[in-house]
Amino acid sequence: MTTTNAAPRFASVVFLKIQDFARRSVSEQTRLRAQLEAVVAVTTAELPIASRIVLEAADGIAVAVLGDPAGALRIAERSLAANSAGLPLCVGINHGAVQMAGGRADDGMIGDGIAVAASIADFSSPSRLLISRSFRDAIADSGPGQEAGMLAAGTFNDAGLRTHELFSPDAREPARRRRRFLALAVAAAIALPAAGVAVRVSAEGHQKVLDGIAGKFRQASARVEQYLRGLLDSVPWQKRN
Amino acid sequence: MAKKKLTRLGRYKIRGELGRGAMGIVYEAEDPALDRIVALKTILLADDAEGRKEYHQRFFQEAKAAGKLTHPNIITVHDFGEEGDLAYTAMELLKGVELRARMLKGEISTVEAVDIARQVADGLGYAHEHGVVHRDIKPSNIMILPRGQVKIMDFGIARVRVSDHKTSTGVVLGTPRYMSPEQVAGLPVDHRSDIFSVGIVLYEMLTRASLFGGADTPQILHNVSSVEPVPPSRVNREVPPMLDFIIARALKKDPAGRYQDAYELAADLRTCLAELGGRERAPAKDDDDQNVTKTVKLEVDTDKTRFAPAARAIGSDTRLPLSRQFDSAAALERLAAPGWRDRALIGRSARPVGFIRRIRSDPGPRLLFAAVLAAAMIGAAIAFA
Repeated sequence: MTTTNAAPRFASVVFLKIQDFARRSVSEQTRLRAQLEAVVAVTTAELPIASRIVLEAADGIAVAVLGDPAGALRIAERSLAANSAGLPLCVGINHGAVQMAGGRADDGMIGDGIAVAASIADFSSPSRLLISRSFRDAIADSGPGQEAGMLAAGTFNDAGLRTHELFSPDAREPARRRRRFLALAVAAAIALPAAGVAVRVSAEGHQKVLDGIAGKFRQASARVEQYLRGLLDSVPWQKRN
Repeated sequence: MAKKKLTRLGRYKIRGELGRGAMGIVYEAEDPALDRIVALKTILLADDAEGRKEYHQRFFQEAKAAGKLTHPNIITVHDFGEEGDLAYTAMELLKGVELRARMLKGEISTVEAVDIARQVADGLGYAHEHGVVHRDIKPSNIMILPRGQVKIMDFGIARVRVSDHKTSTGVVLGTPRYMSPEQVAGLPVDHRSDIFSVGIVLYEMLTRASLFGGADTPQILHNVSSVEPVPPSRVNREVPPMLDFIIARALKKDPAGRYQDAYELAADLRTCLAELGGRERAPAKDDDDQNVTKTVKLEVDTDKTRFAPAARAIGSDTRLPLSRQFDSAAALERLAAPGWRDRALIGRSARPVGFIRRIRSDPGPRLLFAAVLAAAMIGAAIAFA
């Protein structure tokens, strides 16, 4: 197989596979194929035309998205919504090397990015989106924190006996993560000053520390009182008739 | 073949020669008993006893196989017999043109091609229903009559399912370009092999290209076993996507993935015809026979070919063609010649996210980091101030 590009290029490949395509009647295959093309037309419309390459597979469509992993994820998630319209899709996403095959654009594309996405889609079940580790890394690279919404979904071995670590998106996970960080921040805000107090108590004894705190509180109260009085005195009061 | 001019054979009066096949001469003859003009297919029985027995067996096998079948898309066999060194079959005389000749002229429309394949599939469905597998479906065995009716001819290597298995002796019969992968591999062949051959014929009619053609027989056989055909719509843009699916299913390397019934294929082709918007009938053409495809006998080692690639599922190819429904030219250009900004985006794999970048860009860790830092400063102030 001849190739034109020596340097590898990387793209996020969304592989949309129609479930049990080969077992369906030809008229149904034609209908599902047309439906899938419509879904891809709608979902890829948000991307700039220079960012997506649409490829035909025997049992579905693959979309290679250039430089926008988040966009690829949106395409996959929105395409999955077509399941409710009677289009049984299995979706796999991978980020990997792609390149044009042969010297002409008509020769299509090849690459590990496509092969792994295809095998992940093959492994996936309908209405399920599975994501490879490399795509998770790519989305983390493009926007740290975005990968948090992808939970481990196990591993599988492809036909070439390569093991792939898979993830699945969970819409509630980012909120859960935010709450976890908030709880940790609150705990830190309480624990670290408390640790400071504990160090002080162990060094000086609790009575001295309490006296010191009470003294500082009185001083602070006196300062606040003094400040408020000064503030009130500075106001030019007028008498009412 | 016959050395002297033949005037009579059995009860038939020879009127003239129609053509010469791979194994004999076909005459136009008159049946005086029924006052009927027939085609008389003859075969010269070999001199040696073994060869004679094989030829004899094959010839009468064809006659018996075809004689069982009465269908508008299958040639009718009236009679068969033997006289001297010649065996003969009297069959319906067809005034038409061989599909091979039509294809060589290159003027078969998509609708006509689908209609021809549909009729062949109908005829094969009937033959399969009656336990007969043709095993040599190819354009030269398909006759197109003036009104567009199609007839399947030459059940010369057809096998009745219940009869003996010739392939067990290591002999494979058929035309390499139109053989199924299991036929090539010397494995037992069933009706799904004919479906594969119809798929090839349909593909070639639509694309005017030789699907599994090669420089020599081994290369052709290799192509049959391993080459995954390009969808016909990519070769001929007039071909609708539905035909891509029909052909893909008919040409599955694994028989289990193919149409399991020729009637099923015919039904899909009928649906496709309806979608194409009607039927066209081919005008009659003269037969300008050229000996391009011949039935051959291949010696195969059945032990070695039992696990031929064609007999196993073929893994999916990662080479995907561009979709014709979407314009990807701009993105391909970007991929081929990326700008300086693109080099950072598509010219490298994903980098791991470091600590500083995480704190800067990820809100959760940033909040935690700020809280820990502030609380630590307060704690330190309390402890040491």
